Amino acid sequence: MDMNAYLSMFIDESNDHLQSLNENLLQLESDPDDLSIVQSIFRSAHTLKGMSATMGFEDLAALTHEMENVLDLVRNSKLKMDSFIFDTLFKGLDALEAMVQDIVEGGTGKADVTSIVASLQTIMKSDYKSGDASPTTVPAAAAAPSISTNAALLDQFQSSILLQSMESGHQPFFIQVSLEETCVLKAARAYMVFDLLERNGEIVKSDPAVQDLEQEKFDRSFSIFTISSLKESELMEQIGNISEIATVQVTPLDPESLAALTTAPAAAAVETISAPAAAPAAASPVKQAAEPAKKSPQASGGAVARTIRVDIDRLDTLMNLFSELLIDRVRLEQLASEVKRNDLTETVEHMARVSSDLQNIVLKLRMVPVDSVFNRFPRMIRDLAKSLDKKIELVITGADTELDRTVIDEIGDPLVHLLRNSVDHGIETIADRIAAGKPETGTIHLRAYHSGNHVFIEVEEDGNGINQEKVLKIAIKNGVLTEEAGRNLTPDEINMLIFAPGFSTADKISDISGRGVGLDVVKTKITSLGGNVTVDSVYGRGTKFSVQLPLTLSIISAMLIKLGSEKYAIPLTSIVETGIVKRADILQVHGNQMIQFRNSIIPLVSLSRVLESPDYDESTEVETEIIVIRKGEKWAAIMVDEFIGQSEIVLKTLGQYLTHIHAISGATILGDGQVALIIDPNALIK
Amino acid sequence: MGEELKVIVFALGKEEYGIEVDKVRTIERLSPITRVPKTASFIKGVINLRGIVVPVIDLRGRFNLSETEHTEHSRIIVVAVADLEVGFIVDSANDVIDIDTDMIDSPPEIVGGIKAKYLRGIAKLGEGRLLIMLNLSEVLNKNEIIQLEQLEV
Repeated sequence: MDMNAYLSMFIDESNDHLQSLNENLLQLESDPDDLSIVQSIFRSAHTLKGMSATMGFEDLAALTHEMENVLDLVRNSKLKMDSFIFDTLFKGLDALEAMVQDIVEGGTGKADVTSIVASLQTIMKSDYKSGDASPTTVPAAAAAPSISTNAALLDQFQSSILLQSMESGHQPFFIQVSLEETCVLKAARAYMVFDLLERNGEIVKSDPAVQDLEQEKFDRSFSIFTISSLKESELMEQIGNISEIATVQVTPLDPESLAALTTAPAAAAVETISAPAAAPAAASPVKQAAEPAKKSPQASGGAVARTIRVDIDRLDTLMNLFSELLIDRVRLEQLASEVKRNDLTETVEHMARVSSDLQNIVLKLRMVPVDSVFNRFPRMIRDLAKSLDKKIELVITGADTELDRTVIDEIGDPLVHLLRNSVDHGIETIADRIAAGKPETGTIHLRAYHSGNHVFIEVEEDGNGINQEKVLKIAIKNGVLTEEAGRNLTPDEINMLIFAPGFSTADKISDISGRGVGLDVVKTKITSLGGNVTVDSVYGRGTKFSVQLPLTLSIISAMLIKLGSEKYAIPLTSIVETGIVKRADILQVHGNQMIQFRNSIIPLVSLSRVLESPDYDESTEVETEIIVIRKGEKWAAIMVDEFIGQSEIVLKTLGQYLTHIHAISGATILGDGQVALIIDPNALIK
Repeated sequence: MGEELKVIVFALGKEEYGIEVDKVRTIERLSPITRVPKTASFIKGVINLRGIVVPVIDLRGRFNLSETEHTEHSRIIVVAVADLEVGFIVDSANDVIDIDTDMIDSPPEIVGGIKAKYLRGIAKLGEGRLLIMLNLSEVLNKNEIIQLEQLEV
C-alpha cells in the first residue's frame, strides 16, 4: 500500500481528532461527571490510534493507546477524573500534536513519550489495585490455561479490537493448529486454514506472522486470533477437514480470558504495539474490524457535518473562471436585447438567474467560520491561567460567524496577542480580585459578529482596566510623545497609546507578554488587512478590544464612476455621501480648493488632476458631482465626471510589475471585460 | 553542437527579435488597455487576460525607439519571468523557429539603438537574417523603471 497517498488525509484527520480531543477534554474538565463527553473523547482517541497504527506511526499509536486505556477506565466508571489525570492527558495531547507536526514536516513522528506513558500507566495501576478488576482475572486465567502460555502474543491494541467485536455481538476464537509431520506443503496448508477463516470472518492476529507462514518460516504449528461467524464445533470440523492437519484446538474467547491475555503485556505495550504496524497484512483487517465498531456510536451521536477538503488554489481558479463567465453573460444579454427573439431572451434570463445563484455559492465557498481560529483558544487560556495561578473562564460567542479564508489565515496571531494580553495584564490575581470585591474567576468574552460589510471580533475582560495615568507616564518616559502633547489628549486617545510601538506597561517582563512588542504588531497587522482595532476601558472594571475586519478581501462593494472615457471604482466603505457642488461655491484657501459641507470646511480634490485624466476636466463645468470620502476623522470631497452606480467588484492586484502606484489600490474587471482601477481614498486625504 | 532552443520571433520595425518559447505565456491580439496613471510612458496600462490583470508595456517605448500607431498586425506577447507577468506590445509576431545556442553571438555595444544589456545575443539565421535575442530579466528590471520615473518627475 502506498502510504504517501493517504498521508495528507491522515494529517488532516489527525488534526481534526486532536482538536476535538482538546475541546472535549476542556469540556470534561468543567463537567467531569458527564460520561457522554468521555465517550466522544474515547471515540476520537480510538480512531486516531487506528489511523496511526495503519500508517505505521508506532509511537503515536502507542501513546494514544495508553491514553485510551485510561479513558476506558473512566468511561466504565472505574476511575474518577482528577486534575492529575487531566494534566497528564493534556500533556499526552501536546506530545501527540508535536508528533503529528513532525509528520507534517516530513519527519517520522517519533518522539520519546516514556515519561508520559509511565504516568498514564501509574494512573492505570493505581486503579487496578483499588478496583474490582483483579478478582475477574483469576477465573479467566483458570478458564483458559492453554492460552496463558501464549498470552504475550496479544497486545492491548489487538485485544481491544477483540473486545469490541464481543461488544457488538461477534465471537472471537483462539485457534491452535498443528500440521502432520509428513506434511510437505506447509505454507499451502496454512493458507487453506487462513482462507477458510477469512471467508467466515476476520483474522486479527496470527503467530507466526502471515509473511512467515507464507514463506514456511514456521515449525509445524501456528496459532490465530480470529473473529468468526462460525460456531466452535463448526470451526473444529471444517479446519479438521483440511488434509494433513494433525490437531486443531479452538478456544472461544470471553472478556475475562481476554483481560487475562492483555494484563500481562500491558507494561510492554509500547514495544508490542509495533506488531500490527510492522505487519501490514495484519493491519488491514484490524482497520476493517475497527470500522463497524466506530460507526455505530457515531450514528447515535447526532448528524455530523459532511465535508470535503479542497485546495484553496482551486477555489481561486473557480472564482477566476466564474468572473470570465460573468463577462460573457453581460455580452449575451446585450446580444439578446439586440436580436429581440423571445426564446433567446428567456434562455439568457434564466442563465442570468442561475449564474447569480452560482456567484453566491462561489463566494460562500471561500468563507470559513471563525471557529477554526477560535477553537485553539480555550486550551491556550486554560494553560496560561494555570501558569499564572489565575482563575479564568473564556466565553466564546458567535464562533459560527464566517469570514473569508484569506482573512481567517491572518487574524490568528493578532488574536493570540490580544488574549494573552488580557490574561496577563487584564485579569487580576485571585487575591486582587477578592480584594476588589470581584468574583474569584475572571471572565474573558470572545465575541464575533457580522455588521454590515464587516465582521467584529471583541475581546472583553472584567479585569483591571487601563490605568490612564500610568499609560501616559510611560508613554512620555518611552518617548512615544512629549509631556506637552500628553496634556491635550482625550481619554480615548490615551487608551490608544498602548498600541504605540515600543510601549509596555508591565512592571516586570513576563513570559506571556510585556516585552513591549505585541499590541503595536496587532494594530499593524489588522490595519494591513483593511481593518481597525479600538480599545474601550474603564479603570478597575475591565477592558474591551474591538477588532473590525472586512468580510472578505476578494470582493468589495464599490461605487463605479466615470472620468471622461475612463471608469474607476471607489470602495463604498470610505464613502460618506454623494452630491453636487456649484463652481461658484468652491472656496480658495491658500491656493487649495475647499467646500462647505455640513457646517465644516473640507478640502476638494480634483480626481482628474490626481489621475492625469486625458479627456476630462471639471473646471469647464458649472456643476460638478462630488463624492465625500472619509479616512478616520478626516473628510474630503473628490470631484468626478459621472456616477455609474454601486456594484460588487472582485479585487485583483496589478501584479508584481506595477507596485505602489499613487492613489490606486488595485483593479477589477467590469461586466464588459474591461479593467477598471480601484481608487485608494486614503491616499487622497492628507 | 549547442542546445536546441525554440524561440518566438517578433518584429519591431525592420528588426527581428526572439524570446525563448518557455518564457512566453500567450500571444494575444490587441485588446482595450486601461491606462494606469503616474507610470512611465512606455507602460501602456493593464489588460484583462482571462480574469487576470496583466500590465502591458510598449517594447518600442521601453527601448527608446519611436512609438508608432498600432496596426492589425500588432500583438501582445505575455511573458512570465520569475514572479513577473508582463505583456509586450510588438509590431507583429508570426514565427516559431529552432536555433542552436552555438549560433548566438554576444551582442555588440548597440544594436538598432538598443543597449547591449537588454540583449542576450544575436543569432545568425542564414540568408543574412539576424535574430536579436532579448535578455528578459534586464528588460523587466524594475529598478531602472524607478529611476526613469524619477527622471520624468
